[in-house]
Amino acid sequence: MPSDAREALLSVDHLSVSYGHVNAVKDVSLEVFPGEIVVLIGANGAGKTTLLESVLGINAPRSGSIVFAGRQIGGVAADHNVRAGLCLVPEGRGVFASMNVLDNLLLGAHNNMRNVQSSLRRVFEWFPILQKRRKQIARTLSGGERQMLAIGRALMSAPRLIMVDEPSLGLAPIVVNDILAILKKLNSEGYTILLSEQNANKALKCAHRGYVLETGSVALSGSAERLLTDPGVREAYLGA
Amino acid sequence: MQVFVAQLINGLSLGSIYVLLVTGFNLLLLVAMIIHFSYPQVVVFSMYIIWVVLQLTGNNLFLGIAAGVVSSICLNLLSAPLFQKVMRKRGEVDINSTMVLSLGIGMIITDVLSHTFNKGLPVAFPDQLASVTPLLRVGLISVQVGQVWSLGVGFVAVSAIFLILYRTRPGRAFRAIAEDPNGARLVGIPILRTGLASYALSGVLGGVTAVLLAMVLGSASPGLGEQVAHKVLAVSIIAGLGNLAGGLVVGLALGVLEAIVQGYISGTWSNAIAFVILLIVILARPRGLFGSKL
Repeated sequence: MPSDAREALLSVDHLSVSYGHVNAVKDVSLEVFPGEIVVLIGANGAGKTTLLESVLGINAPRSGSIVFAGRQIGGVAADHNVRAGLCLVPEGRGVFASMNVLDNLLLGAHNNMRNVQSSLRRVFEWFPILQKRRKQIARTLSGGERQMLAIGRALMSAPRLIMVDEPSLGLAPIVVNDILAILKKLNSEGYTILLSEQNANKALKCAHRGYVLETGSVALSGSAERLLTDPGVREAYLGA
Repeated sequence: MQVFVAQLINGLSLGSIYVLLVTGFNLLLLVAMIIHFSYPQVVVFSMYIIWVVLQLTGNNLFLGIAAGVVSSICLNLLSAPLFQKVMRKRGEVDINSTMVLSLGIGMIITDVLSHTFNKGLPVAFPDQLASVTPLLRVGLISVQVGQVWSLGVGFVAVSAIFLILYRTRPGRAFRAIAEDPNGARLVGIPILRTGLASYALSGVLGGVTAVLLAMVLGSASPGLGEQVAHKVLAVSIIAGLGNLAGGLVVGLALGVLEAIVQGYISGTWSNAIAFVILLIVILARPRGLFGSKL
């Protein structure tokens, strides 16, 4: 259980983000400590993607602050944040369909080309299938393989925090289990992960802590066990 | 038969210039996300710079060519902040407003050329650059130095572009932005800075093309840029907007077609025929012969 004595790797404080007049994220505060898997639970449109993309540096915050590894990053461009160790596995994978697997992986290392060969070796150890298909065009991969490619591409940037947006979207349940198992294994090897999911049951089972987002605000937060047994969460997200 | 071979040589050398121009245009379209309709006008402006420098230096070819290439790169880079400002103000990429800006740049260039240099009369390049004595002559077939250069340099330059795109880190980023700008941003590719590299690269291409045009045509006039701009846009649309390989095929084909029309019918028809083909293609295949990459 993380304590306040440890310094948070990511700390989002009273963050609000809006598109024009729509407040997509309202006064959200959350923390991710080193070594944790934290899950953001919420329905479609709850603001999960906007929150993750704001942390990455795609949307500028309207108010509030984002601190990553001790530095203020609110309004800092995404390429700088990726260089500093943040990365996002986008919703729907976001792999470049017309490029081959190797090029997709190398794009992940765009801001960090120094240790490219050793990063590639490590990714291929994690995902041997990607090595086998490295000359194959990404369009020809299965959904699960694309998700592995997207995660592998994130690993290429030598991240300190991996944000994964809805990895289960559009995948068969058995593949979802595989992907979540991979994330759990990555976490046990030291990677810190911030995960967003609609599939609350499976996600909470592999996470340490969770936040429930409702229409852009945090409705509830706590340890994964507590959220799994919370009557409100069970009713709204676990179908109990 | 001799007419055919002669016109085939003329056509291929002219075509390779179209290929260079359409490649630069497509790079800007794909990576910088602008419709730089007047890119050929910028190239013609560089031809004038070459002419001025040749005049000033007593026909020093090295300085003339260097000035052409450097001015083309500078003009491209100077226009970049204007285009990026238009894009950023709209929040999102607004490709239509970049076309209006490009049109304006083209008009300014045409006006400057027709008022400032040589009283608006066409400028002629000296024999050192645009030699009229053929390298080879067999009957009606003659091969000019400029034609050999434009084919050779065209081939090398286009190969170099493909090598950059498929074998280098910036090239990979170019392709990523071309395929999915938002996705590229999410993996941490700096969109504006990478876009700037594409301005520089199409500036190099434009400078090389300015030299080749001077060699092949032997002269330049204020209206030249506009004429060429229409054809480059047509080539890009016929091939499929942003399709580099398609631009290669269609650019060469247009050059050959124009030369054949010139050889057998009349040069004045070549424009009309090119645009009739454009209309037919737009009606039959709205995304171009090889498919648009936008």
